[in-house]
Amino acid sequence: MSGTLPAPLPGPRVRAALAALALVTLVLLALVQPVPAAAATYVPISGAGSTWSQNALDQWRANVKQYGMTVNYNGTGSSDGRNQFRNGTVDYGVSEIPYGITDSGVVDSPPPRKYAYMPIVAGGTSFMYNLKIGNQRVTNLRLSGEVLAKIFTGGIKLWNDAAIKADNPALAASLPARRIVPVVRSDGSGTTAQLTTWMSKQYPSIWNGYCAKAGRSTPCGATSNYPLVPGGGFVAQSGSNGVSGYVAQAGNIGTITYVEYSYAVYTTSFPVVKVLNAAGYYTEPTAKNVAVALLNAQIEKNSSSPKYLTQILDNVYNGKDRRNYPLSSYSYMIVPTKVESNFNAQKGKTLGAFAYYFLCQGQQHVDNLGYSPLPVNLVEAGLEQVRKIPGVDVENINIKNCHNPTFSADGSNTLAKSAPFPQACDKKGPTQCATGTGGDKKPTVTQGSGGAGSGGASGGSGGGGTGTSGASGGGTAATGGTGASGTSGAGASGGGATPGADTAGGAGGAIDPDTGQPIAAGAQAGGAGDAAGVGTGGDAFAVPVSTSGTISGGVRLALMVLAALLLVAVTVGPPLLSRYLTARKQTS
Amino acid sequence: MTFTAPALGTTDEPRTIKRSAGLPDQLFRGLARGSGGVVLVIMLLVGTFLGYRAWEALRVAKGSFLTTAAWEPDSHHFGIAAVLTGTVLIGLVAIALALPLAMGTALYISEYAPRRVRRTMVSLIDLMAAVPSVVYGLWGAFFLQSHIVGLSRWIATYFSWIPIFKVHGAEPGDPLATTTVYTSSTFIAGIVVALMVTPIACSVMRETFFQAPVGEREGAYALGATRWGVIRTVVLPFGRGGVIGGTMLGLGRALGETIAVYMIISPAFVIQPRILENGTNSVSSLIALRYGSASDFGMSALMAAGLALFLMTLVVNFVASSIVARSRSGAGTEA
Repeated sequence: MSGTLPAPLPGPRVRAALAALALVTLVLLALVQPVPAAAATYVPISGAGSTWSQNALDQWRANVKQYGMTVNYNGTGSSDGRNQFRNGTVDYGVSEIPYGITDSGVVDSPPPRKYAYMPIVAGGTSFMYNLKIGNQRVTNLRLSGEVLAKIFTGGIKLWNDAAIKADNPALAASLPARRIVPVVRSDGSGTTAQLTTWMSKQYPSIWNGYCAKAGRSTPCGATSNYPLVPGGGFVAQSGSNGVSGYVAQAGNIGTITYVEYSYAVYTTSFPVVKVLNAAGYYTEPTAKNVAVALLNAQIEKNSSSPKYLTQILDNVYNGKDRRNYPLSSYSYMIVPTKVESNFNAQKGKTLGAFAYYFLCQGQQHVDNLGYSPLPVNLVEAGLEQVRKIPGVDVENINIKNCHNPTFSADGSNTLAKSAPFPQACDKKGPTQCATGTGGDKKPTVTQGSGGAGSGGASGGSGGGGTGTSGASGGGTAATGGTGASGTSGAGASGGGATPGADTAGGAGGAIDPDTGQPIAAGAQAGGAGDAAGVGTGGDAFAVPVSTSGTISGGVRLALMVLAALLLVAVTVGPPLLSRYLTARKQTS
Repeated sequence: MTFTAPALGTTDEPRTIKRSAGLPDQLFRGLARGSGGVVLVIMLLVGTFLGYRAWEALRVAKGSFLTTAAWEPDSHHFGIAAVLTGTVLIGLVAIALALPLAMGTALYISEYAPRRVRRTMVSLIDLMAAVPSVVYGLWGAFFLQSHIVGLSRWIATYFSWIPIFKVHGAEPGDPLATTTVYTSSTFIAGIVVALMVTPIACSVMRETFFQAPVGEREGAYALGATRWGVIRTVVLPFGRGGVIGGTMLGLGRALGETIAVYMIISPAFVIQPRILENGTNSVSSLIALRYGSASDFGMSALMAAGLALFLMTLVVNFVASSIVARSRSGAGTEA
């Protein structure tokens, strides 16, 4: 109020405010002071692009703040990053794919300004999903490439599709008849480009068929904008955060999306699909598997080519190593190599120092974020690229001091060398590991769990019943006949309990009613076969039952009316009662 | 009173009025006229710019621009049938929710609230208007959506005989049915936009309700009217212009709302009148989504979509202003 009054002289309040302002300024100055003197020489730079690698970039940006560098980054999608770099509105762009790729018949033309590609980080495009069986989250789903391609082209619509069951023997009996809701990117995205490149190279007929349905001209090839068929049941969201956040919403069960591994591990703590590789193993995009896979990446080695250092991933898709993750790739920064548009030498100094940081120290911990560090040859090439940035303070970095986990004395990729081979239960076949993936390491227990009979519990968490005991159990249950039907009705425990609680077969748990094969299939020798586990299984998977009749229409209506009456009584009743009572009191 | 006879030979003619507006007056008039003119010129320039940039795309698309639902400008197959329908539907849902909310709030503030509560309410509502739309978007996408799905499902289950409440792919009898069909819908986007529109509509209405003449109010009370009677017979008729104006202003904002809608919806390039179902679209969110990655021709197509939105908003505002002009506050009661 006093602000509106004319104040010819600064009143005490104004003076106090001025004093407070001065104090705040002093404190701020004092806070700024300890930053090294060099800090003042870094001017802020800004960039835009990929959300695939944004988690790594954000971490690096936060880390270089201590050196006084302000590096801004806007995760608006790779297409936008390339466009903004071309138009000169940002100092650097980040993209998974290079310029010059034809998308829907339009060539993404290279910018008129001088530029170079610099690999920044590796990672796997993962398939994050939200699926529950009964009340338990599935964390060990595994799928072959063809099934994934069919899911993302609308060919497979239900989670209990035969093809998905074939990939998941341990879950086959309990996969629900839920709709698969593929969640795709609505903005121009490098992640989409990676996925569609893979589909167009590996499954051209499936991909082109879908593309044609969506109204694109075929052959479709790679595209940054995911084509959508109206009424296809797909959901489109913008940004990696958008799609992963959508999948992670508790209610959105049945959704699956493609996103960098980081968003499953680090951002949302959700499981990812283990993808079948050419060696017949289902693998997860861990830092090590990605490092192994990218040993097969063809990197453009001709340093005079405009595409110097860019990747061709065809051999990654079909890598024969057992640890290979087929959808591994690198992400690139597009840096200017000449002072033009609004780029200048001061900005080059910041960008160069930032690049030195992330190529060296920055690679050290990216695996915690769900990425994979660059191998030594790409770090060296990247360091060479940094020299092209105008205004950079050239540093001679001894890469031995970078503590990059891929480095070794003989130049081979340590990370790939040390990568563990997948377990036998990850091999394509009747066995399936129960261990969790991505950000949710909780095992998916397919038989008696939590507080179940001792034998069942230990066997369950140990990766399912052993092959032998399970198989014998299968024999028993199959001969019993009732055992199998019991399984499908009330879950594993019931199945065991029905034919006779003291048979060893009951402890084996879930038996596929059709095949008589044990559903729970583990590699480790668990003690599940012991009779101790009999009959007390807790919340094992309930096998889906048909639910045609819920509550019939008449009863439902009556219940609704009853509920409404109760609501009215509860809200109106007490005041009426109290009024009545007070009225009586007054009259008496 | 006596009249002095006019002198002979002079005809009776009116005195010429010499306007001698002072310099300050002239300056002020010039300024006011200039500002008015500048606004017009800016609007014209925006329209011309959009038209100029859109020309390339419109020349290719011709009439199909209005009837095509798909948006594949690089394949020369694009149109605004879907996005424009989506925009209007989101706007209508928003207004349908915001109108009662804003009117109720405005009436409470102007008629019922005690003085102290009134001041708090007014500043709270102004605060609502000050919340950035991206915050509404985040809230809508990450919080509201998962909580509102139950309501959508309930409406879809019991009112699906009304065509707009039908949801394709919904199976109410199946406990395993996915709830994703109810997410990212026109309805949810509309709710969030309604919350953003309410403060503006509310403050316009509140102002006009305050201005209902005291004489009439007291007259009505003197005749034995209840408070509701006064509102019905005095406040609302006097405030009709404000109600319509506030609503239209809100609709204008709802049609152009970008970022909150962009964050919630799942863009669908098909005319989709079922408001509870996943998938909708709006012109402004389409532009926000695609301008970053658009080719030159794609940009031109986006400009054309922008031009369509611009023209539609103009029409809405013209209609609104003509309605407001015809029903000036209290016009109905003064007659």
